[in-house]
Amino acid sequence: MRKVKLFTWAALAGILGSGMVLSGCGASEKDNEKTKIEMVQYKPEAVKAFEKMEEKFNASHDDIELVIESPNEAMTVLKTRFIKEDQPDIIGIGGDINYSNFLDADMLMDISDFEGLADIKQAYLDIDKNLEFIPKDGVYAVPYAANAAGILYNKDMFEENGWEIPETWNEFLELLDTIQASGQQPLYFGFKDVWTCLAPWNAMACDLAPADVCQQVNRGETTFSVEYRELAEKILQLLPYAQEDPYAYSYNDACTAFARGESAMYCIGSYAVPQIKSVNPDMNIDSFVFPANDSADGQILNSGVDLQFCVMEDCKDKEAAYEVLRFMLEDENIQIYLDDQNAVPCKEGDFTLPSMLDGMKEYIEQGKMTDYQDHYYPAEMAVDAMIQTYLMNQDTDAWLKKFDSDWKRYNRDLIRKVQEYQEENGEGGSRS
Amino acid sequence: MKGNDRKRTFLLITIPILALFFVFNTLPLIKGFIYSFTNFKGYGSYDWVGLRNYIDLFQDVRVGKSYLFTFKFAIVATIIVNIFSLILALGLNSKIRAKSALRGIYFIPNVLGGLVVGYIFSFIFTYILPAVGKALGIDFLSSSMLADTKSAWFAIVIVAAWQAIAMNTIIYISGLQTVPEDVYEAGAIDGATGWTKFKNLTFPLIVPFFTINMVLCMKNFLMAFDQIMALTKGGPAQSTESISFLIYKNGMDGGQFGFQSANAVIFFVVIVAISVFQLTFMNKKEEQL
Amino acid sequence: MKEKCKHTGKTNWPVTILLIMGCFTIFFPLYMAVIIAFKKPSEMTNDIMGALSFPSSWSFDNFAEAMRVTDFWNSLGNSLLITALTVIIAILVHSLAGYAIGRNMGNSKFYKFAYLYIVSGMFVPFAILMMPLVKQTSQMGIGNRAGVIILYVVFYMPMNLLLYSGYLKNIPLALEEAARVDGAGTWKTYWSIIFPVMKPMHATVAVLTALGTWNDVMTPLVIMSGTGKNTLPLAQLNFQTQFGTNYNLAFASYLLALIPILLFYLFCQKQILNGVVNGAVK
Repeated sequence: MRKVKLFTWAALAGILGSGMVLSGCGASEKDNEKTKIEMVQYKPEAVKAFEKMEEKFNASHDDIELVIESPNEAMTVLKTRFIKEDQPDIIGIGGDINYSNFLDADMLMDISDFEGLADIKQAYLDIDKNLEFIPKDGVYAVPYAANAAGILYNKDMFEENGWEIPETWNEFLELLDTIQASGQQPLYFGFKDVWTCLAPWNAMACDLAPADVCQQVNRGETTFSVEYRELAEKILQLLPYAQEDPYAYSYNDACTAFARGESAMYCIGSYAVPQIKSVNPDMNIDSFVFPANDSADGQILNSGVDLQFCVMEDCKDKEAAYEVLRFMLEDENIQIYLDDQNAVPCKEGDFTLPSMLDGMKEYIEQGKMTDYQDHYYPAEMAVDAMIQTYLMNQDTDAWLKKFDSDWKRYNRDLIRKVQEYQEENGEGGSRS
Repeated sequence: MKGNDRKRTFLLITIPILALFFVFNTLPLIKGFIYSFTNFKGYGSYDWVGLRNYIDLFQDVRVGKSYLFTFKFAIVATIIVNIFSLILALGLNSKIRAKSALRGIYFIPNVLGGLVVGYIFSFIFTYILPAVGKALGIDFLSSSMLADTKSAWFAIVIVAAWQAIAMNTIIYISGLQTVPEDVYEAGAIDGATGWTKFKNLTFPLIVPFFTINMVLCMKNFLMAFDQIMALTKGGPAQSTESISFLIYKNGMDGGQFGFQSANAVIFFVVIVAISVFQLTFMNKKEEQL
Repeated sequence: MKEKCKHTGKTNWPVTILLIMGCFTIFFPLYMAVIIAFKKPSEMTNDIMGALSFPSSWSFDNFAEAMRVTDFWNSLGNSLLITALTVIIAILVHSLAGYAIGRNMGNSKFYKFAYLYIVSGMFVPFAILMMPLVKQTSQMGIGNRAGVIILYVVFYMPMNLLLYSGYLKNIPLALEEAARVDGAGTWKTYWSIIFPVMKPMHATVAVLTALGTWNDVMTPLVIMSGTGKNTLPLAQLNFQTQFGTNYNLAFASYLLALIPILLFYLFCQKQILNGVVNGAVK
């Protein structure tokens, strides 16, 4: 009887043990003299471009071994790796609230002595600067690629019907009327996926709200009720031109509908093009900047940093990390990425842009652009869902009031920090 | 001597198991509980904020709404699932043709991944049902249930039930295996058939499994997350945000780890209270029967 | 309620027919899934007839491509390993727990407490455990497949304890008492009498545990991140990116992943059915 008992426990221990052995190996460090630089980048869809660059880098460098990982659910993976204290050397992330948070947690290295920054477009450096909760000395990210949002349109439909590209809000409304009168669908929304509500919101905000409205509110200088009112009123005017019950259709439905010519325009970013083209590879897509106000030269493109590289504070070999960054920023390597991802480069220079960005090219070259508003919104506030709620209820006053009070609630610690900073550094420590 | 040996064996089994459970469930829970007094984002530095998270929790309208939604959803789904899976289990356990094939087929919904279920049912609710509704002139079907704040929760109930019935059916079927045949023979002599037979003979014998299914169902639905993510992601107009959805979405994706830990602690206390009540109540019932 | 005619030998046709009709609720979505898995992205439409029509060709390209993208055989191997070990350990450990706790909770405060303690662990939202567990497993050096298996054994303990102890309620004490009178110890009684009698429940536990582990994304994602090992559901995340989802490949991949677990279920179902208790109790 004792034997039976012993045997069972031994078997159990054996099973557990074998599991450990199975997974224990493979973690051993390589002990060659090369410096290993590990990069984790958050766009799994760009894995092919990065594999190409990784291979190219390792072929041309004897002293540094570059390993690039492109995991799925990269932000979750990154956060868990921070907890495990297993940080990569370089991270490739978006210029959004996650960057602000990582920076605020003092996890990133000041790279202002990196000479490659001189070639980056000032507009994108400014966009990144604006993402700092508390103005910090130094530079913490190299903007690499951007995307742009506004209106994508079906070029063939526009040419057949002789529709003109609008340059003001009134012209845009006229165009919407013309298209609707011709019996076609002007717009298609995929508001079932709440994040798509942010596409028109962000694009219109560039023209209708100050770029740093969130920082202004945090400093207690203004309220959203004031700054977002026109934006909130105008976004409602789009609804009659979209399909019935836009909250029933997803992003994917909207991409499919636009690709099948069911609508003439689609208010979304350049990032949607691959999904649209997967349904209709031959589609002729072009874009224009969302004209949300009435001055012909007052339009501003909605563009944000889609991919930027940050060196982690714990990186042991800064010089090696810089070497990697230098390599990534070589023109031909940037072009590899652009071709793969239909992206906009953040570096100055002569790059081939994807053709569907023709209508936005001028703005990109002149640097007439503003970041996505939602890059400043804390994810937990769920502004996208709030906008969806607003579009359904359409009660502007109540909603703006709620926006202000929710903002204070979700950003309480941040607002306190900002105000402490102001007290220390004198009133109106505004920047940019 | 024998009794002591028996006791010791039971302790030898139980204590290591309790230890294992403590290390990988209670210990992290305690750590999470500690985080609930901080403004921890999930990484980086954090500050102690005392009871602020708990005070906020009771004032947060969104959290309040998520409790209402979650309980409404869980209660309705639990009832529906238990009724259907009991009927299905009785059916699949009776003398039928193609038994294995049928049991296999009814199991499939449980295995299909969230992406597939989400896409297909979204398609059905968005395109197929409204078309059917319009054709037949049924007003309430003529627009997508998922896009209406009044009906979206029920659409989720339908899909969640469709997926969950398989699991509860399996448990009922295994429960039915413990019903000895002689009970039926005795019943047949008394002339018990159909509903009477079920009520007086079968059901009392599978009450332990009914308890298990009620508890597991309540647990699964109170903690519903995948179904919400697949179908509505909390929409329309934030009407289908479940508690787990908030805890996960804002705690992990957002920077509210500390606050959502507090939410999770309260939620945990609430469900434990409910299920201890459920278990003791059902155990009493079982004893009465 | 359905007529039960277990002890008569006749087929119950009305029930059979009703059950077959009920299958429509499963066949229809399944039909859509299969159709989509065979189509190309360019064949996807937003109208009903387009969605229900056959693909232009019944080629297995999507399946081959899905297998390539997910590194199918490696991912499948990891999934099989994790699921199989979890199920085996769960059956051995949880049935013992169910026996020790279930048999004593009626007359001992300690076991009653142990029962409620473990069962209540079921209601801890995983999200709150996740961060601390990531840190803990990494510090213990089990931020890998072994760690995932151990966590599963702990996560499924409450449910399985509930199942096993519930099942034991219907197994008369007289069974083991008879063995004890013959001089067998507790341990031997368990393995020779109780363990075999619980076979239908072992099969049930195996199905439910396997199902949960097979489809789980979150645990391997956070625990195994950085190890370079993938399970099938982890690899399937490849089909979804921030701004686009390839539903066709994804569906093909999900249908492939469905087959092993379905076969396992059919195998277990036979064991559940062998009503051992019916014979044993008499």
